[in-house]
Amino acid sequence: MSELSATVMNLPRRDAQDKLRGRTKYTNDRIRPDMLHAVLLRSTIPAGRIRKLDVSAALRCPGVRAVATGADAPGLYGIGIADHPLLAIDTIRYHGEPIAVIAAETEKQARAALAAIVLEVEPLAPVFTMAEALQPAARLVHEGWRGYEVITEGGARAGNIVWEAKSSRGDVDAAFARPDIRVVESSFTVGRQSHVPFEPRVAIGSWEDGRAHVQTSTQVPWTVRNVTGRVMQLLPGRVRVTVPPVGGGFGLKFDASIEPITALLARMTGRTVVLENTRQEEMATCLCRENAEIRIRSAVTAEGYIAGREAVVLMDCGAYGGEQVFLTTMTAHTLGGNYRVGATRLVSRAVYTNTPPNGAFRACNGVYNTFALERHTDEICDALGFDPMEFRKKNVLGDGDLGATGQVFEADVLGPMLDRMEALRASTGTSEAKADGRLYGIATTVGTWFVFVGPSAATVNLNADGSATLVTSGVEIGSGTMVQSLPQMVAGQLGLAPDQVIVREADTDAAGLDVGVGGGRTTVSIGAASIAACAEVREKLLRTAGEMLQTRPEDLVLRDGRVEITGRPGSGMSIPTVVAHAQATTGPIIGSGAFTARNTPAMSGCAMGHFIDALDIPVFVVHEAEVAVDPDTGHVEVLAYRVVQDVGRALNPRAILGQIQGGVVQGLGYALHEEVTLTADGRIAQDDFETYRLPLVQDVVPVAADLYEGAPSMGPLGTKGAGEVPILAVGAAIGCAVARAIGKPVQRLPLTPPRVLRLLHEREPPPEFPHIAPGWAANTLG
Amino acid sequence: MTVTFQLNGEDCRFDGDPMTPLVDILRHERFLTGTKAVCREGFCGACTVHVDDEAVPSCLKPVGLVQGCAVTTIEGMSSGNQALHPLQVSFEAADAVQCGMCFPGMVMSLSAFVRDNPHASRPEIKAAMVGNICRCTGYERIVDAVAEYLDQARKAGQLVGGIHV
Repeated sequence: MSELSATVMNLPRRDAQDKLRGRTKYTNDRIRPDMLHAVLLRSTIPAGRIRKLDVSAALRCPGVRAVATGADAPGLYGIGIADHPLLAIDTIRYHGEPIAVIAAETEKQARAALAAIVLEVEPLAPVFTMAEALQPAARLVHEGWRGYEVITEGGARAGNIVWEAKSSRGDVDAAFARPDIRVVESSFTVGRQSHVPFEPRVAIGSWEDGRAHVQTSTQVPWTVRNVTGRVMQLLPGRVRVTVPPVGGGFGLKFDASIEPITALLARMTGRTVVLENTRQEEMATCLCRENAEIRIRSAVTAEGYIAGREAVVLMDCGAYGGEQVFLTTMTAHTLGGNYRVGATRLVSRAVYTNTPPNGAFRACNGVYNTFALERHTDEICDALGFDPMEFRKKNVLGDGDLGATGQVFEADVLGPMLDRMEALRASTGTSEAKADGRLYGIATTVGTWFVFVGPSAATVNLNADGSATLVTSGVEIGSGTMVQSLPQMVAGQLGLAPDQVIVREADTDAAGLDVGVGGGRTTVSIGAASIAACAEVREKLLRTAGEMLQTRPEDLVLRDGRVEITGRPGSGMSIPTVVAHAQATTGPIIGSGAFTARNTPAMSGCAMGHFIDALDIPVFVVHEAEVAVDPDTGHVEVLAYRVVQDVGRALNPRAILGQIQGGVVQGLGYALHEEVTLTADGRIAQDDFETYRLPLVQDVVPVAADLYEGAPSMGPLGTKGAGEVPILAVGAAIGCAVARAIGKPVQRLPLTPPRVLRLLHEREPPPEFPHIAPGWAANTLG
Repeated sequence: MTVTFQLNGEDCRFDGDPMTPLVDILRHERFLTGTKAVCREGFCGACTVHVDDEAVPSCLKPVGLVQGCAVTTIEGMSSGNQALHPLQVSFEAADAVQCGMCFPGMVMSLSAFVRDNPHASRPEIKAAMVGNICRCTGYERIVDAVAEYLDQARKAGQLVGGIHV
């Protein structure tokens, strides 16, 4: 049995039974009667200066044990730029911003005490939109932006532009000046998307032996550890973070937010403190997928060669930089992906506004840049008379093609995947008949995403009962990596059954550094670290067995819980026998492993202000949607959906198909009806399940999916991340299919019925971007 | 005011405001945290329990209204080492679970549905699920699992008067 055949299987989830019985204890199921409850005083205005904040009366309220303000945790945190206080200090920058926190014996007492806090605020004129924020005379959301600590160097910054990333390859001016090209220009604007994990952000903090212990529903235990240390001005090592099963993340929990508050209150009170967002707070302060504005121009020849391309992408980071600072990087790899382009230049700017901060959401900026790029591609085809499928087949990235930063892509992947989509369609048939008189559209789109590699660590202890314990900082957020791919990989390496692999949940005191569960990275990065740890275990095991069997270690194999002599099934001895011998002679058998990014090079001078210059592991998708549009109501029905996904190697095909179904449906929500708008006072209007329209069971169709294996990957066993990317091209496929169905340009998402009706009746104004200069260079900080 | 009712087969007494949502009593006083309080407004279905064998969202049920009723929570569906409800078995077999927070409510809603509708079609199953939101799975596998369960149950001829024997 090869290592691979021992690893690939449709392993069921070990956590399913407890989850189905309601026994799984998520963080918010661990609230005990002896805990203090914390409640936040949040701003009810979008911008202002705190003139007075007096909490003394609140401290005297019944049951109150502590009240904290920004002065109690003065350190600032952030990604790239440290601009974010835990609780507002002097300045309020968004509606809902935490200003003070009360810990009391009961939640009711804490809430009652909120009224006793004296807060006087001088309102400031809010900056709500990126158009306002980019005006030359705009009020600065962060007056002191120059003084912030720069955590990562390289991005250009100025005023309300918190970060700018640029990529530039080749002579774009020359490409646009060619006599044989036509220029096609498109503009797009997209709104926010709210994650709505069923478990809101919640944390339980305690102070133990002079250190903070935070139990929380997070994807990033090490970020929570580091941010808690920063804001409390402690060494991060004085913070321990443990993570129970997480009730959904989708990227929302890829940053620290409320967790450090519980550590702060625990230190102040000596008690265990729980802080859980109400659903209203969770949605009103959701670190949403950001709203964005995109202008893209291409110079295309009559033969269909894309000679030049340039784009400006504005990303609203809200009141603090957060993930958007990092995500400016992704424009080069998403808007700059998919197609072979002669010369290209792209600029991506994260812009401050007085709105709730945005964050990371599954396939982050890729979702809207793919929508923009694919709709733009269809507009090119319309303008120049190309067949959209033929144009894509001719131009998709292939072996040796250059990305926007000069990265050289390996192997033909997208081209064969388009062929596979045609085969998939031939096998499923199409659903045009179901349109039944409504306007029918079908579109095939492509997308480029990546695996966010980065550091991971793993330890494997081989036990005398033949089991192995895998210790990592991984978190089970629902995607199954901790209960499926990781135990499968360790079992495959050590000749065990997956149920013999015990997987420890994240504890920053027990496992080494990890960037977190997100970016499709767990199977790849923690998997690679785990395999490296297994290599050490295996080496020790085989050396011990070799001595016991008087056989060279290289002649031994691990199979079915035994150390066997190669080619002689049933020979040798059981792993527990070898482990017991090792424990008595050389000591317990353990192994450790580490992994990080390869840092694939970009072309010199092509990438500026990027956190990742080139993709270590690109991931490609082909998505196809069929829709029917009701011309009377504007309602879009999805008739069929097909996916061909580049998975590298599918370790658990059934689990991946489950991720594809779930990811596509989240994308359908984004494309069609999940809409976030701001009220006149800068509040997120959709703060409950009535106003925010999540996909329901009757909105969805079974997704037909084909897993494309064999594309190059540095991931262990040839894997790539498979859980993040399924949402990538849904906005694109739906946007293109609806545009074709109604014969009108789709430039905005979501395609709610009112919007589709306006499009049909030509009453939907095209996006206007007076704040994006006509010349590309004028949109950069130089 | 005192409210008495049966909770998972045992007597349960509550002294306090009869307008207290049932979900809060289950979670905060009885520590039956399998019932999930997700939206608390009756939209998501994650807090569904059975009250006198009928599936209802416990967030919208003031405890005063369960006086004398029999309340069953997800913990009461398969206690101790008892076998899973066959619908739970179907969900597990289909690898339908992801984050898992919607599933206690799904199980409570759908176990009542399959009991009352042993011949339900796929569209009828979907219609029965409109009150249960799932953010992870995209639903279809759950629908498949219910359809598979009904199919197996019909084939086995085990459904007698809607009750497994």
